[in-house]
Amino acid sequence: MTFSTMISTMGAGMLRTVGIFVLTLIGSLPLGMVVALLRKSRIGPVRGVIRVYISVMRGTPLMLQLLVWYFGPFYLFGWSIRGWRFPALIVGFVLNYAAYFAEIYRGGIESIPKGQYEAAEVLGYTRAQTFLRIILPQVVKRIMPSVTNEVITLVKDTSLAFTLAYQEVFSLAKQISASQTSFMPFVIAGVFYFIANYVVAFAMERIEKALDYYR
Amino acid sequence: MIIEMTHIRKSFEGLEVLKDISFAVDSGEVVSVIGPSGSGKSTLLRCATFLETIDGGEIRYMGQTAAHTGEGGRAQYVPHHELSRFRAYCGLVFQQFHLFPHYSVLKNLTDAPMQVQKKSREEAEETAMALLKKMGIEDKAKAYPYQLSGGQQQRVAIARALAMKPEILFFDEPTSALDPELTGEVLKAIRQLAEEKMTMVVVTHEMPFARAVSGRVIFMDGGVIVEQGDPKEVFDDPKEERTRQFLRVFEHA
Ligand SMILES: Nc1ncnc2c1ncn2[C@@H]1O[C@H](COP(=O)(O)OP(=O)(O)OP(=O)(O)O)[C@@H](O)[C@H]1O
Ligand SMILES: [Mg+2]
Repeated sequence: MTFSTMISTMGAGMLRTVGIFVLTLIGSLPLGMVVALLRKSRIGPVRGVIRVYISVMRGTPLMLQLLVWYFGPFYLFGWSIRGWRFPALIVGFVLNYAAYFAEIYRGGIESIPKGQYEAAEVLGYTRAQTFLRIILPQVVKRIMPSVTNEVITLVKDTSLAFTLAYQEVFSLAKQISASQTSFMPFVIAGVFYFIANYVVAFAMERIEKALDYYR
Repeated sequence: MIIEMTHIRKSFEGLEVLKDISFAVDSGEVVSVIGPSGSGKSTLLRCATFLETIDGGEIRYMGQTAAHTGEGGRAQYVPHHELSRFRAYCGLVFQQFHLFPHYSVLKNLTDAPMQVQKKSREEAEETAMALLKKMGIEDKAKAYPYQLSGGQQQRVAIARALAMKPEILFFDEPTSALDPELTGEVLKAIRQLAEEKMTMVVVTHEMPFARAVSGRVIFMDGGVIVEQGDPKEVFDDPKEERTRQFLRVFEHA
């Protein structure tokens, strides 16, 4: 296998990796906010369920969770769903990352001084207006560094998709390396992850800069 | 009367902080509230502005009842959607300003009028600029709160409250968080509002200010109004021993 065929074979894997990454963020960033808000729900049982969900997601390996989502439907219900591999993967990633983001959001929301709520309340803002206009923008700024950490972890975590034999860049690197007895695929994968993280860090830094107009 | 609070009771976890307080403010009045730490001054203001709910008693604004003791002895408030009407009657200036840090000075003043009162941008900005001018900070309209001194921030906070055109404005120790050299500019702004007959209730430790600006002084201690009256009488010839004691400590502070 020439270097260029190696690159083009792995290129397809890189696209799949980017796919997992993007879909996970699209799903987990908003879902995390829903979870964070439910975590503070006035209804006790809702808070309880959310607390258990968060601690299970954070207390067990993501790799194990992916296997459960993939094999669960068959072992639990006897269902064999065609084409379930990729959806299982995304469900696993989204639910796992939503739990982490929820905790980051919660910390951010709790760090906003009570006075901000009270000032808004006295001015007559509704609860929704207070959250969306006054609290959330300040939360976003405060949590950016933690979100950046999490997103960079996600770039690397996408490689866990190999658990379900999904052919993203890391799985392909392993396969090609074994079949070609070459170390090169790992080097290519490493460079790919490094560049991907560099791009992510750059983008996040730009967002943080854009939020730098106030303190 | 702008506001009438009668027989107000309020406890926090068994600790009775307001004990049967009755207090009313007429249009154009400037009332100072003084008293030792923990006497319930802030709590009274927070009940008046609906940040805290009273346990018993009655709150009336402009002759309309917002809350009153119902059956079973617990205070009952008007429904949520009506309470917003009562909220609009009052404004509150906090000790710590609590400006919105992500909004420019101008937006701090225009956002609530536009979002809550559905004013047009033009109208809201016109009102805001006039208020900033009155507060002597019209050149800071585009600045963000962190770029201002404490005294300027507090004047923005006053302007933000006034932008909602409240009937009465409450101040909770508006100069206590400021460096001594910055208190003057804030007190001057409040004094100017008093001259314009803005109805105000000011919790303060600035005794010369209370004496010079307010038409009535209320001395609170231990959750009750111990004494109230003309500033000259309360300061120069207090009737109650507790008032005398408090003022004596102050003179030597
Ligand atoms: N949210 C609360 N929960 C429990 N106790 C409270 C709460 N708010 C106030 N208190 C208590 O109520 C009492 C009166 O407090 P308040 O803040 O009204 O006093 P204050 O007269 O404003 O005092 P200061 O001059 O220190 O501001 C204090 O003993 C205080 O600890
Ligand atoms: Mg106080």
